[in-house]
Amino acid sequence: MKLNQAFKMAAKSILAKKGRSFLTMLGIIIGIASVMTIVSVVSGSNRKMVEYYESMGTNRVEVSGYFYSGASMFDQLYDYCQSLGSVVVGITPNAQFYDGTVRYGAKNSETMEWEQRPQVYYGSDQYSLCNNFQIARGRDISRFDIEEYNLICVMGARAAKVFFDYADPLGQDISINGLPFKVVGVYAEKDPDRSYSLDNVIVLPYSVSRFISQGSQMNEYVIKVRDAKSINEVITRVGDYINTITQNQTIGSGNVYSNNQWIDSENDSMKMMSLVLGGIAGISLLVGGIGIMNIMLVTVTERTREIGIRRAIGAERSSIVAQFLVEAAMICGIGGLIGIGMGYLFTNMAGKLLLEGYSLLPSVPITAGAFGFSVILGIVFGLYPAIKASGLQPVVALRAE
Amino acid sequence: MLIRLRNIYKIYGEGLESEVRALNGVSIGIDYGEFVAIAGASGSGKSTMMNVLGCLDVPTYGEYYLAGEDVSEMNDKQLSHIRNKQIGFIFQGYNLIPALTAQENVELPLVYQGVGAAARRQMALEALERVGLADRAKHHPSEMSGGQQQRVAIARAIATRPPIIMADEPTGALDSKTGLEVLAFLQQFNREGSTILLITHDNGIAATARRIVRLSDGKIVEDHEQEVDWL
Repeated sequence: MKLNQAFKMAAKSILAKKGRSFLTMLGIIIGIASVMTIVSVVSGSNRKMVEYYESMGTNRVEVSGYFYSGASMFDQLYDYCQSLGSVVVGITPNAQFYDGTVRYGAKNSETMEWEQRPQVYYGSDQYSLCNNFQIARGRDISRFDIEEYNLICVMGARAAKVFFDYADPLGQDISINGLPFKVVGVYAEKDPDRSYSLDNVIVLPYSVSRFISQGSQMNEYVIKVRDAKSINEVITRVGDYINTITQNQTIGSGNVYSNNQWIDSENDSMKMMSLVLGGIAGISLLVGGIGIMNIMLVTVTERTREIGIRRAIGAERSSIVAQFLVEAAMICGIGGLIGIGMGYLFTNMAGKLLLEGYSLLPSVPITAGAFGFSVILGIVFGLYPAIKASGLQPVVALRAE
Repeated sequence: MLIRLRNIYKIYGEGLESEVRALNGVSIGIDYGEFVAIAGASGSGKSTMMNVLGCLDVPTYGEYYLAGEDVSEMNDKQLSHIRNKQIGFIFQGYNLIPALTAQENVELPLVYQGVGAAARRQMALEALERVGLADRAKHHPSEMSGGQQQRVAIARAIATRPPIIMADEPTGALDSKTGLEVLAFLQQFNREGSTILLITHDNGIAATARRIVRLSDGKIVEDHEQEVDWL
């Protein structure tokens, strides 16, 4: 018997018992949909975390440190980093200035909605390098701006949109705490779905802090390191250096860390979670498979007479095995397809509800894996009843009621 | 000689106290074109004999030659081919598959022969035509009377044009008029050259066969030719 005949027979028999076929599929549908949803959500939220860290920039060493006297540590750190040579690519203050009131025309940051309000940072000419910003228009902050205390600023894409809408911000003056700052550049957008307002920033040369925030301390710094391998070395050496200049934390305080560590631990915990949750979902898939084997056993018992008839008119054992096997694989395959459809739906919904509209879609390997697994389940669990059924003497099968 | 049985035994529970010898040393030869009725009371072993002759069951001991070939040496695949190509079965309970239409039931042995869809359809419709059911091709067994279902079963038996037709109490579930129709078909197929084996407990029905073989307690007790009531 040809295989396409086995397919036609299987389709006929599935359609003849729609209700039961559907109930059989249910286990597979739920199993696959949940496996897909769980794995996708976990890996999606993981990816989102990693993307967040990566959009801040990788291979960053963050330093938080200050002297109790109020003096800035930056110049010393800057000089020290120069002495470390090529492992350090850049260094910048990364200090947010919380008390800035930004105004342009009628727009005033004080009266803005919280999520519209821009964040003002002090940075060096290496701020964009360390924070993974690219200049889209105009120019970046220069060493010269810092040395000359130039009242200029570079705006993130979102901040530019908030204040200038569709007008050209370049060359315009915005007012920060009453001082006019000329917009010289705009960064390219790096956080298009705005989940973290990374683009709603205004960066000033750190030297101007003495004009607008004399009292506020600048104590957050970012060092961009050449590559991931050099991170630990830089952490150790900068940490040692800070201990030296703070006289072992007596005249100041400081510590050094890297967000690569966060990404790693994030990845690790996510892997663990997807293993555990995926395992639970896998068990539900297994239970669905056992359900299929039960139904196939019942079906075979019920249809023993039919098997006898088919054998009597000339069906070989292999044809009977093929028929039942294809039927089981087909039930699982159809169930698998429905499960995949629902998995997509749930994944999408979960993305909207749990991950703030982060567009979440199951990956192709997960989908293909889920489908392959469901068909294999059908074959594995269909095999035993099929072999059992075909092994009967035709006369024994014919006698069954 | 088409069929030759030599000392065929079918023993259930051999060696036990409850041992049953359904066939107890049967030897017989049946030639091409014969119409043989195998008669006997219930429990005489006639159904077992048909199952052995039809390769639906294997004998415990003995030799069975079909067209000179030793059937007892054959594997399942070869036996399936014999059932498929050499023998057409007609059963008492029709044994149609309820989920399939009349035409699909008749096509089934052709499916297992690997005949293409178009040829299959044509052969099935021809067979249904011969039993007068061409207009019922799309009906399911449940939509037909007993007589009609048995005619579908007959169409299925002759669809592959097998040299041997075996009928096990084919009239058992039918009223006498439709029963006679079925027997008339068997006689017609015999006239056209088929070898017919008819299993029955009813002497009146056995009278439609040229040769009658009577079984009792698993042994042949009578084997002779007779005048035939042509229907």
